[in-house]
Amino acid sequence: MEPLGPTEKRYLLERLKGQHGVENAFEGLVLIKAGQGRIRAATKETLELAKRLRKVQQIGLYVAKLSKGDVVLSIEGTQLLDGEIKKNVIELDEAAAEEWMKASPITSPKKYTSKYVVAKHGEIYLGSGRFTRDGKIYPQVAKWRRVPE
Amino acid sequence: MSPGKSLSKLILSDDLREYLEKIPDLDLNLLLESYERPIPEGLRVNTLKSSEDFVVERLEEKGFKLRKIPWAKHGYIAEGGDLGKTIEHMLGLIYLQGPVSMAPVEALDPKPGETVLDLCAAPGSKSTQIAQRLKGEGVVVANDISYERVKALSSNLQRFGVLNSIITLADGRRYHRFARELFDKVLIDAPCSSLGIISKNWGIARNWSAKIPERLSKMQQRLILSGFDCLKPGGILVYSTCTLTVEENELVVNYLLENREDAVIEPLELPGLKFRRGVVEYMGLRFRDDLEKTARIMPYDNWAEGFYIAKIAKRR
Repeated sequence: MEPLGPTEKRYLLERLKGQHGVENAFEGLVLIKAGQGRIRAATKETLELAKRLRKVQQIGLYVAKLSKGDVVLSIEGTQLLDGEIKKNVIELDEAAAEEWMKASPITSPKKYTSKYVVAKHGEIYLGSGRFTRDGKIYPQVAKWRRVPE
Repeated sequence: MSPGKSLSKLILSDDLREYLEKIPDLDLNLLLESYERPIPEGLRVNTLKSSEDFVVERLEEKGFKLRKIPWAKHGYIAEGGDLGKTIEHMLGLIYLQGPVSMAPVEALDPKPGETVLDLCAAPGSKSTQIAQRLKGEGVVVANDISYERVKALSSNLQRFGVLNSIITLADGRRYHRFARELFDKVLIDAPCSSLGIISKNWGIARNWSAKIPERLSKMQQRLILSGFDCLKPGGILVYSTCTLTVEENELVVNYLLENREDAVIEPLELPGLKFRRGVVEYMGLRFRDDLEKTARIMPYDNWAEGFYIAKIAKRR
């Protein structure tokens, strides 16, 4: 339950601004290191209560991971930043959103300026995908979140 | 389906039949019929992530028929396909949960800003329901004793998008040792013999032994005392099980009343849910009269899960 230090927090926020144009990320929340570059977010009162308890396994929500300097937002991470994500976004129709949630690669004619792209279907954010040189986006959907084939 | 046909399919052991016949106010033929009917598929729309109208409209466009559950805010009974394979489920816009299973949290009635403990939380259906009622203000502490089950709890709280949650891995029977008078509300949805949900798993009937409720009752008595001691004065505890045995229900709540003078049974308000009064006399035992205020829900009352629910206040 170690909160992100000021330098680490600044780096995360700068990367989010660079990758997705996010100006105000996770305001009013505490960000916590969760191992292997993972970052969780929680309310302040949640962290305060957790300090008084024993046998705490985890608190709050997994929102992002730092991978080789890039920020990979989780599905909930993108949903929390609803309205703040302004660039490197791919809009998907219903069929493509289903494919995304099966973790099937999506071909995009568009070029992106970041290695990681956020997917959106109407009002719903679907997390991040890795954009590769061959024009494909590989959805970063955990196995347990995938729509079965 | 006639009761005779039911009897020919689900075979009860003599022990279980004899046991069920002793439970007051229970119609064995109707119970057997209910065991052979599937439990209706229930869902809750996750209002932490989206608006109810938006999600309902999406599901109806996909051909699902939704019917509001009168006793559960944001709860619906759904027909028309496998909701578990939908994008709405995977994204956490809905949570799949049995319709009567939503009743204990409705009875607890968590309010924004409260600190709530779910003592036996995995896999997390009720913890997510508590979080939904907190609307992001306050904290839900979801505890379980099993590391394996905590993994499912963690996944479900993640999918539901709960920021204000803490998961602890501890023995609920000892939770009061470090959390005395810390919570506004406590839910104990206790591990039980599951006689209310045999239609989900006939193996429960096959593996029945009269020793099971006896053994579980002892553990439940320790859980309810521990949970009650975690409550602040003026707080509310809801005790629930998905079983029909008196040993795991009224006997446990009576044990609390006998051991904590500041425990008071509160009446239950669950509009539209059919239930019967708690038992006060059983096998020569006489319980406190107040136990009539607790709810016994037979599977055939609502043609869904069988449950027991008791709401208990801690005097200031």
